[in-house]
Amino acid sequence: MKRSTLIAILSDVHLWVPVAVLILGTILLMTLR
Amino acid sequence: MSERLTGAPGRSTLSLHKLGVFCGLAAALWLGTAEAPTKLVNAGFSPFLISMGMVMGAFVARWTVPTLLKGTGFLFQDLRAKPHLIVWALLAGMLWAIANTLTIFAVRNVGLAIAFPLWNTNSLVGLFWGWLLFKELRGSGIKGWSKVLGGAAAILGGAAVLAVATARQSDAPGKATIGIVAALGAGVLLGTMYIPYRKAYISGMNPLSFVTIFTFGELGTILTVGAIFFGGFGNVVAELHRARPMLFWPFLGGFCWVIGDLFQNFAAKYIGIGRGIPLSNTNQLWGLAWGALVFSELSGLTLSGKLLIFAGSGIMIAGAVSISMAAPAEAEMANWKQAMDRECDRYGLDPQQVKAVVDGDDPLAGQPHARRWWEVLIVCVAVGIFVWLGLGTQSQHLSVSMPWMIVLVLATIVPLGVCGTLLWRRTRFS
Repeated sequence: MKRSTLIAILSDVHLWVPVAVLILGTILLMTLR
Repeated sequence: MSERLTGAPGRSTLSLHKLGVFCGLAAALWLGTAEAPTKLVNAGFSPFLISMGMVMGAFVARWTVPTLLKGTGFLFQDLRAKPHLIVWALLAGMLWAIANTLTIFAVRNVGLAIAFPLWNTNSLVGLFWGWLLFKELRGSGIKGWSKVLGGAAAILGGAAVLAVATARQSDAPGKATIGIVAALGAGVLLGTMYIPYRKAYISGMNPLSFVTIFTFGELGTILTVGAIFFGGFGNVVAELHRARPMLFWPFLGGFCWVIGDLFQNFAAKYIGIGRGIPLSNTNQLWGLAWGALVFSELSGLTLSGKLLIFAGSGIMIAGAVSISMAAPAEAEMANWKQAMDRECDRYGLDPQQVKAVVDGDDPLAGQPHARRWWEVLIVCVAVGIFVWLGLGTQSQHLSVSMPWMIVLVLATIVPLGVCGTLLWRRTRFS
């Protein structure tokens, strides 16, 4: 994968919104367990 | 919008809105039907284990169906053209796996009746993300907003009424707060999962390629969570071995789920997540139909309970009709195009080609792709797994209504043929 593509991915809000929700969801799951 | 009304030469002229609506409804049918095989599992197995069986069945089906329909050559070519989307497909699978595990906690603590409508809020979450990140519904005017938002709210309301009507069928032990938090959390995760869906489709990715990668995120996460929950991967294997006599049923459920999810993906592609997801969330109706008609789960229901079920179903159907009639206006389509252009600019995609794919006219779809020997192997292995599981399945002593089962099986298979044919004629599964 090209460096420019990698930068585009890492600076994309479309990535960080689901990642943030995934982290919070995983924390919630582990807490409920 | 005229370009969305006609297909490529020699193709069907069905509008993409109508096609997306058909896909959303077919998705609901198959996602609801996916619940039926799991009802054949006798008590004594952890719901998490049943869920894991479904994911494994889905993993098998997710590789097989796209391979059968398009061939691995097409799938790899599609993935090579948009490699950045692999990240989002994996992410979506991970979100689904965590959400699905949360739903198990929700059902355990507050019962399906309360949990289901709570995690069904995912359609409203998806609608919000569609509006915020992909400019869906912008420029649609008050009429368009009323139809979509009103329809989504009606589907959610109908789900709540159905839940109340069937509440006494579910056991709802204490720990209500945990259950409610888990259900709402699942709703947020599922609603957020549609961000990768929509991103992939406005970038011109084929839904069949997307789900093929999705399944690795899904299976990897569910196995990791399983290892944590059961105290090690060895214990997961031991539990699966113990469950061997019933594994065929969740596998079959997983297969049905994949068909439904594929239709859901095509709906998300052609009518957006704001419209497609509420439509596919009417799956509760079909799950209810299986439970009530085939498994006689509601036989002891009072008259008021039956009336509530009719009312809830009616509200849900009205919501689906409202969304079905909310075709996007010119102004909204211009906003959809802006969202597509953002992806093209950001990731160096060819706007003309992406537009063609988004409009259902993928230039690659009409080209013949050579079939590979391993495609036969993939299909044979998948069929072999199902046959092997089927042969080792112990009979489940459950009373079922055969006439209703035949009716519902036919009512499930006929739309598959009809919708599959519509998709092929209009888009060649692109």
